[in-house]
Amino acid sequence: MSERRTLDVSGLPPYEISNQAPLFWGQVLMCLIEGTLLCMLIATYFYLRLGIDVWPGPGVHPPGLTLSSWALIPLVASCVGSYLASEAAKKDSRSGMLLGMGLNLSLAVIFLVLRALDWNSLNFTWASDAHGSIVWTILFLHSYDIVADILMTAVLIVIVASGRYGPRQRIGVHVDSVLWYFLVGIWIPLYGVVYWAPRLIGASR
Amino acid sequence: MTPAATEPHVYADLDVLRQTWSSKPGLFGWLSSINHQEIGRRYILTAFIFLLLGGFEALLMRLQLAKPENTFLSAGRYNQVFTLHGTTMMFLFAVPVMEGMGIYLVPLMVGTRNVAFPRLNAFGYWMYLAGGLFLYGCAFFNMVPDAGWFSYPPLSGPQFSPGKGVDAWAQMITFTEISALCVAVELVVTILRMRAPGMSLNRIPMFCWSMLVQSFMIIFAMPAVMIASTVFLLNDRTLGTHFVNPAEGGNPLLYQHVFWFFGHPEVYIIFLPALGMVSSILETHTRRQIFGYPALVLSLVGNGLIAFGLWVHHMFATGLPQIGEAYFTATSMMIAITSGVQIFCWLATLWSGRLRVTTAVHFVFGFIFIFVMGGMTGVMLASIPLDLQAHDTFFVVAHFHYVLIGGALFPLFGGFHYWFPKFTGRMIDERLGRLSFWLLFVGFNATFFPMHWLGMLGMTRRVYTYVPGLGWDRANMAATIGAFIILLGGLIFIANALRSRGSGARAENDPWEGSTLEWEAGSPPAPYNFPNLPVVTSRTALWTPVAERSIVVGLREDRREILISNVLDAEPHHRSVQPRPSLWPLLTAFGFSIGLAGSIFAFFWYYVASVLGMIGLIGWFWPNRPLEVDP
Ligand code: HEM
Repeated sequence: MSERRTLDVSGLPPYEISNQAPLFWGQVLMCLIEGTLLCMLIATYFYLRLGIDVWPGPGVHPPGLTLSSWALIPLVASCVGSYLASEAAKKDSRSGMLLGMGLNLSLAVIFLVLRALDWNSLNFTWASDAHGSIVWTILFLHSYDIVADILMTAVLIVIVASGRYGPRQRIGVHVDSVLWYFLVGIWIPLYGVVYWAPRLIGASR
Repeated sequence: MTPAATEPHVYADLDVLRQTWSSKPGLFGWLSSINHQEIGRRYILTAFIFLLLGGFEALLMRLQLAKPENTFLSAGRYNQVFTLHGTTMMFLFAVPVMEGMGIYLVPLMVGTRNVAFPRLNAFGYWMYLAGGLFLYGCAFFNMVPDAGWFSYPPLSGPQFSPGKGVDAWAQMITFTEISALCVAVELVVTILRMRAPGMSLNRIPMFCWSMLVQSFMIIFAMPAVMIASTVFLLNDRTLGTHFVNPAEGGNPLLYQHVFWFFGHPEVYIIFLPALGMVSSILETHTRRQIFGYPALVLSLVGNGLIAFGLWVHHMFATGLPQIGEAYFTATSMMIAITSGVQIFCWLATLWSGRLRVTTAVHFVFGFIFIFVMGGMTGVMLASIPLDLQAHDTFFVVAHFHYVLIGGALFPLFGGFHYWFPKFTGRMIDERLGRLSFWLLFVGFNATFFPMHWLGMLGMTRRVYTYVPGLGWDRANMAATIGAFIILLGGLIFIANALRSRGSGARAENDPWEGSTLEWEAGSPPAPYNFPNLPVVTSRTALWTPVAERSIVVGLREDRREILISNVLDAEPHHRSVQPRPSLWPLLTAFGFSIGLAGSIFAFFWYYVASVLGMIGLIGWFWPNRPLEVDP
């Protein structure tokens, strides 16, 4: 029996809570998928707009600017919470994770409430016309993602608070923050399209 | 670490490894398995069953068209049958079978123990299975889609396609796309981050490159089809949105754009893995490094990029602005360059190698012949004047079967014969293999070559019958006879696989003297794939003498530990622990499936899907004791 040359990897760390973790890569790819989806919706929005004279149609008010713009403040601020949580996850600080995720969760919920109020003020539905269809689709899909991530954060808070967590759950906290950055980041162009586009390119040509 | 050698060259305790990496026994173990070999095999097997169903539907169509004014199928039934055939072949056979090959082979080829996200992998399979069962279940209850495999509105809209068939079609897409996206994500991470130490980017086996490019294509293409089928079509039909309704500002052409933004990449999603298989087979069988590796990789990537820029060539007949169409003619012809480069690299490999001719190589030759023919008609169709004449005729049917069957099915069958010993531990019979090849090859050309002719004579596709005296009779009869020769070839192929699996000669680990790592693992591989993970020192890893190769030691064996390496050079970076088998992926898929199936009847079911899915995900990620990653 001949000897084999060996490469000993036992000295390498047994896990990694950073952007090197496989789960992080998986999350980035998921964001890429969701991003593609939402970008296709933006393209759809402008494609539909091209086919219509006045956008939105007569009698339809463009979505209101006030609430939606104010809502950006808690939304962007909530990223601070995510950042704190993921830094705390790297340092394995339980209180830090709880603080960060708690902050993120509360600000995200404030955002959702503002968004719900904003929806109430829309004077069209998805069945009104093509403009209504695409605007509601964008709003619905993005809100769906937001709600899903909020629930995920809530579950993580429970797990961390109960102390039943190890490195895998800490990676989860980090990755949860990454998803949140994406959802906030993608909302900026979507907000521009839904709320500003009708004002900038809505008039009849 | 003390070498506990239980086998020559092994520094691992195989009993512990087996214990750690095996699925649980019994039915529970089967349902909760997250092993990539098992799941890959399930994908392949399920896909072949759908191939049989799709083939059965093809025979029904050919029987109907065998002679003029035939009354075997009614017009409505014919519509249903070609829709089911196209849908089954594209969504339930071709993509999943390639995914299955990738799931099985990629971890072995890059030298690791499993895919990056094993539970996601299991979830993806269950979604795929549920999607297939959903479509055929609906068909069973007479909710059969009949608007073609791309279901253009307004034909597929509420006005002209009442009933639930088109809704079932649209939601089946969601199932299969979720599954494809899961596989894409896990394969990208497996290939980029889990390669054996030393397998730098320029040493990745061609098949893995092709799966990598294919996975990225899935990530960018599949969201589009979900938008087309669910957001546009299904919501217009069930919720009253107006995306494709011109009366309220919508536009049916929007659907075509978005569908083909997916649909064209889709054929490359099917076809790229097949190219990877051809490269693998040729490298091993010519016993030389594949010729022009950088050129091959670049043209794969090129194919992947250009494929996103040609969708409008499916829409030349819609009256889009000419200047825009001209651009798509150019890109369509451009893809012949990247495809041509690959063909020439393979020819050069064949030319300069010492070829050993097996059944697998027969299929590769069949591929080159048929695919080049399909490529030629493709270049012809890319020119607008010709396309306007041939659009929606049997010329197009001939073209896409030449590229789909020639470009994907033949390499797949070649790959199946090539990797059969790895899958089953038995050699597949060569004589029967060659017989099935010749029957398939002759049958294929007999079926589809006459269709070029029919298309030129003006026979449009999707017609359920035709009148005598148009000069179409003989060509149609030939095509039908050809289809039965294909059937015979297929039956012999199945018989050969079953027989060899039971009583074929035992296969060594490396019966072909292959170049890539999967041949170092057992035949079939142990659940942990490799006793010690390999270290790679050249592009053709196994052709480096054993004395110059090292193996990895120091991974813990009592838990599912794997090695994460750098993207570029595959330097070992850290260890990582994978989750244990679990029933939750199945339960989550079940919850989603119920909701998605219900959603064709009422929107409310989306909430059911969300709630059940969320419960499933919580169970899935809930930390189990003992925590798996204590350092
Ligand atoms: C096994 C032998 C096969 C035969 C004999 C066959 C035959 C046919 C026929 C007769 C049609 C319908 C022509 C018409 O009336 O328009 C058709 C359509 C089609 N086939 Fe096949 N086919 C075979 C395999 C495949 C495979 C392997 C694929 C894909 C991987 C495939 C994909 C399609 C598609 C996408 C359509 C278009 C359906 C539609 O019009 O909506 N076929 N095939």
